[in-house]
Amino acid sequence: MTKSKTFWLVLASLALVVGLTFWQANLEVRPAEVASGDLLYGEERTDGYFTIRDTNGRILDMTARVVYPGDEFIAEDNRHYRINRIEGDTAWTELLGVETLSGDSAQPVTAGGGARNLVAIYNTHSDESYTPTDGSDSIPAGGGIYKVGEVMAERLRSLGVQVEYDKRPHEPHDAEAYRRSRRTAVKMAQDAPAAILDIHRDGVPQASFYDARIAGEDVTRVRLVVGRQNANMGANLDFAKRLKAYLDEKYPGLVRGIFIGRGDYNQDISPRSVLVEVGTYTNGRDQAQRGGALFVEGLPPVLGIGTAASPQGPGPVGPGAPPSTRGDWRGVLWVIVALVAGGIAFLVISTGSWQGAMERLRRFTTREWGLGWPRPQRKRDDPRR
Amino acid sequence: MAGFPVGLIALVVVSGLIYLGLAHRLLDRLYLSDRAALAVIAAMVIGSFIDVPVVAGPVRVSLNVGGALIPLGLAVYILVRAGTAREWGRALLATAVTVAVLTSLNLFVLSPDPWQTGRDFLDPLYVYPLVGGTVAYLAGRSRRAAFIAGTLGVLALDGVDYFRLTRAGIPGVVAVGGAGLFDAVVVSGLLAVLLAEVVGEVRERLQGGPAHRGRPEELLKNLGPLPVKKELPGGEDRDEV
Repeated sequence: MTKSKTFWLVLASLALVVGLTFWQANLEVRPAEVASGDLLYGEERTDGYFTIRDTNGRILDMTARVVYPGDEFIAEDNRHYRINRIEGDTAWTELLGVETLSGDSAQPVTAGGGARNLVAIYNTHSDESYTPTDGSDSIPAGGGIYKVGEVMAERLRSLGVQVEYDKRPHEPHDAEAYRRSRRTAVKMAQDAPAAILDIHRDGVPQASFYDARIAGEDVTRVRLVVGRQNANMGANLDFAKRLKAYLDEKYPGLVRGIFIGRGDYNQDISPRSVLVEVGTYTNGRDQAQRGGALFVEGLPPVLGIGTAASPQGPGPVGPGAPPSTRGDWRGVLWVIVALVAGGIAFLVISTGSWQGAMERLRRFTTREWGLGWPRPQRKRDDPRR
Repeated sequence: MAGFPVGLIALVVVSGLIYLGLAHRLLDRLYLSDRAALAVIAAMVIGSFIDVPVVAGPVRVSLNVGGALIPLGLAVYILVRAGTAREWGRALLATAVTVAVLTSLNLFVLSPDPWQTGRDFLDPLYVYPLVGGTVAYLAGRSRRAAFIAGTLGVLALDGVDYFRLTRAGIPGVVAVGGAGLFDAVVVSGLLAVLLAEVVGEVRERLQGGPAHRGRPEELLKNLGPLPVKKELPGGEDRDEV
């Protein structure tokens, strides 16, 4: 290829990338997808949401989060659905089964104790606020969500749990917020907390969808979100299910459900990481604070940490480690399978054949690790040599 | 890790080892020896715990040693080692284009919350390295230029952040490379090299070998059989091309 051809090829490719960028930006979007306000201030949209329905049309969930086919949802009644079709603002689901976890099945995790008596909390969207009480749904770098987080942290402390609440803001509220908050999450993960919580509030406009009266208090319910594009998904989902199972027993109706959607949400950083949505922006913050406080009461028993009687500092507690969950091992399996599949695909591409791939792998292991694989003997006059 | 379940420890250890192993193989593809690549990774791991404050005030800026300073130093080292002015030019052009494309994506395409437009196909964490790697490969045409553009392109996004926060008067923290070895800066640089490697291999496979026309004679001479790295007992383990 001549230099000028190469130059034009590179230029055309760049033009294509930039063109696609702007074309995508101007695509017609559905009302549910329109974000109101300046991107810099990240106003939560107030003009649309998705309704998730079962095959009979029964409403399972409503969320301002855009949903995709393949996303899953564990409803309040533990029915596990998968979204298979989207029409307008309605997501239709198929029933996959019923989760069998009960409050009792959360108990084994509590039996051993032993995880580090530390819970980490942060807010990726540090502007999120509650309009009725905060006066706005978005207050950059000082959202009402901080006050909700603080109440949750206080309740945990009162239960004997050490809490590291990092209030670092991650403004502006844009697509890069998770890249910024990743730094906060990693910093906290360096202290090996038993769990990491990212506290949010939803953007669905119906306050009534989150309103509830639980344990004699007016509270907001909470929704848990687990990202599908992270290596720890299995472990994190197990953690979320156990939390829900425990809280279903203690405070029925508090957990709205578990949404398993596309994304990473920095949950690859810890296998005990979960995103928590405490109410929505049209609820009062005081309600959300009460709901959040009830929610964190599930953490000590499920993680096997801190009790009011043992308010010691961070460090191992109890006689032994809590048992592994199936999700932990599933995570290990997936990581290994991805490595093997990716490695084999690369070797086949680069050598052009299965035999070539195996030969290169053999040479690699021999040189790098000193492992000699048995090699089929060839005759000395083999023309291939 | 005392007190954590065995399965969870296995998950963390296996994921960490694979990430570090992959990082080592990819750094090995640059101007680094096996040992130097290992030293760089060790320095990044240790440096991940060290933040150097740079700017105080309402918008604070800090540089993480493992996630910003070492990748930056490595990118500069590779740039200095680049033989020709053309490679310099390409690497810097690739960096500028990467910053422009990523900033445009952030401002005009990606939604304030991930997955809110219906157009998202991948988490932003992986969009930056993929876009950075693709642009870097197209503009830079080498894995070294890809690493430089992938790293510097994502690092520069923090400069854009600082400018936006200062201009809007919003207090905040710009913790450049703050997630250390797991920061988007490092992930992006490594994935860019991986992408260049895979695309390069596929391209060569499709065209039946490396392109010859227009290449310097010296380069073509060296495209012959590689020298034997080490003759192992039995004499069978030589590089065959």
